[in-house]
Amino acid sequence: MKTKRTFISIFTLCVALLLTACNGNKTSDTETSQNTQTESSTDSSDDSNTKLDDLYQQENQLFADHKDVWDKAFGMMNKSAADPNGNYADYLADTVESNKDSFTDDELKILTDDIETIRKIEEQIAELEKKNAASDSQKNTSDDASPFKNFSGKDYDGNSVDESLFSKNAVTVVNFWFTGCKPCVAELSKLNELNDAIKAMGGEVIGINTETFDENKSAIKEAASILESQGVKYRNLSIDSTSDAGKYASGIMAFPTTILVDRNGNIVGDPMLGGIDNQDNYDTLMKQIQSVIDADNTNK
Amino acid sequence: MDKEKNLLSKKIAGIRGWIQAGATLLTNIHIPNLFKATIYQGNAKTVCVPGLNCYSCPAATGACPIGAFQAVVGSSSFKFSYYITGFFILLGVTLGRFICGFLCPFGWFQDLLHKIPGKKISTARLKPLRYLKYIILIIFVILLPMFVTNSIGMGDPFFCKYICPQGVLEGAIPLSLGNAAIRSALGTLFSFKCVILIAVVVLSVIFYRPFCKWICPLGAIYSLFNKVSFLSIKVENSKCIGCGQCSTACKMDVDVCKTPDHPECIRCGACIKACPKDAIHYEFMGNHSS
Repeated sequence: MKTKRTFISIFTLCVALLLTACNGNKTSDTETSQNTQTESSTDSSDDSNTKLDDLYQQENQLFADHKDVWDKAFGMMNKSAADPNGNYADYLADTVESNKDSFTDDELKILTDDIETIRKIEEQIAELEKKNAASDSQKNTSDDASPFKNFSGKDYDGNSVDESLFSKNAVTVVNFWFTGCKPCVAELSKLNELNDAIKAMGGEVIGINTETFDENKSAIKEAASILESQGVKYRNLSIDSTSDAGKYASGIMAFPTTILVDRNGNIVGDPMLGGIDNQDNYDTLMKQIQSVIDADNTNK
Repeated sequence: MDKEKNLLSKKIAGIRGWIQAGATLLTNIHIPNLFKATIYQGNAKTVCVPGLNCYSCPAATGACPIGAFQAVVGSSSFKFSYYITGFFILLGVTLGRFICGFLCPFGWFQDLLHKIPGKKISTARLKPLRYLKYIILIIFVILLPMFVTNSIGMGDPFFCKYICPQGVLEGAIPLSLGNAAIRSALGTLFSFKCVILIAVVVLSVIFYRPFCKWICPLGAIYSLFNKVSFLSIKVENSKCIGCGQCSTACKMDVDVCKTPDHPECIRCGACIKACPKDAIHYEFMGNHSS
């Protein structure tokens, strides 16, 4: 009897430990694969970064070689005339051109020669940066098919919306919530404020209540009354539970979850968990929104 | 006849570890979900499991009765949770705290921890702490979720949110291991509850089932039914020689001969196994006068 009991207890302990061991292995597996994924992507960007550094170094070398003349030219520069999107060489040429009289012929020759070299370098830099930006945005949408590419839904008044919802704005803040979730309801008024704040910047807040899937009438009514009580004016949508977006929403394990979607229906960055009635979360989200809008402006 | 009955009781008590393991497995049947960090959300989740087992455990089969009770009481649409109260009464009247001893996964967890060799201290002197669980039940499970609400009448599940170590063990830890977004959202509340979990783990090695004795509101509810539940423990006075072995063996500090149906008894059967005269046995709806 005694030995049997010890055997049983040892066996159960072993099973328990085995289970935890399996669990541990599995999670470490996923973690390493995640690590490798980020590593490989940083590798490639490292590569182009060294190239970029190299090019900048070449430019600096030119400036250093003819330090006296360039220092003189830099002294004449007018900051307000700088166009951040134009070729740097054009800007340099303009400066030299408008101050032609201050330079000797020799100096002018050195400057124009250098400017031509710089123009070529700048072109290379621009190309590399464009490539980097492209791979960056690709990274964000590594799950190639974004669940919001083929989007369809209905607002609570029954008006249909599709993915043009996203293409109208630089950034769409999609907030997932459900009616019985207290922290979700707590941030609703703050989300409404956010919607007002980002409207002018080309952004919009959209709410998706996971209880209102498939146009569930009673759930929509309940959700609408809560939205009204919190003074929410931004759009809330009912989506199909079997659609890609519906499946994405069903996979969310913690609420509220807020994600950013760009003009092309791609999810940008990581989802944010927790309410934005917490100031830290609000600031983080605002920063992300700003960066999506900035990226949108440069892509135009 | 009696002999057979007592033998059966001994057998049941003997395989308690297996029953606990089986119950834990059945309560957490969706094991692959543990690795995916996704919670099973099917129809079975509308039913409660008997033991304390977090709804947010990725593997969980059903809902935790204590969590469900708070969710309903704290929701704006309902004032009181009739379905779950009925569930408590049904299980309380049939099994009582047999659930703690045989079916509760967190009880089994503490049992296993207590098997770790080391200094063991009796809780006999800490009996007043038993009443703490009733205070936690009334304040954290019933009153706070019911009355501390926002403008539209929604309350927090206070016990789940601020106390329950099972929620950290089964919910927060596996979910945050498998989900980077959840991991990034962890804050002070998680650290606070980890401290509670670690405290319960350490105390479980030293004491026998400290959480069940002092904290568990589910145990507190079932304990109220122990005296009237169909399943009970019977001491046969004709056989008893008053040796007191049963009370010495009892890790829940119950005086078995005097009060076999004490609220603290979790029906683990240690007394049945310890009795040299086989005078103690389980009874189900049996004739209590025998």
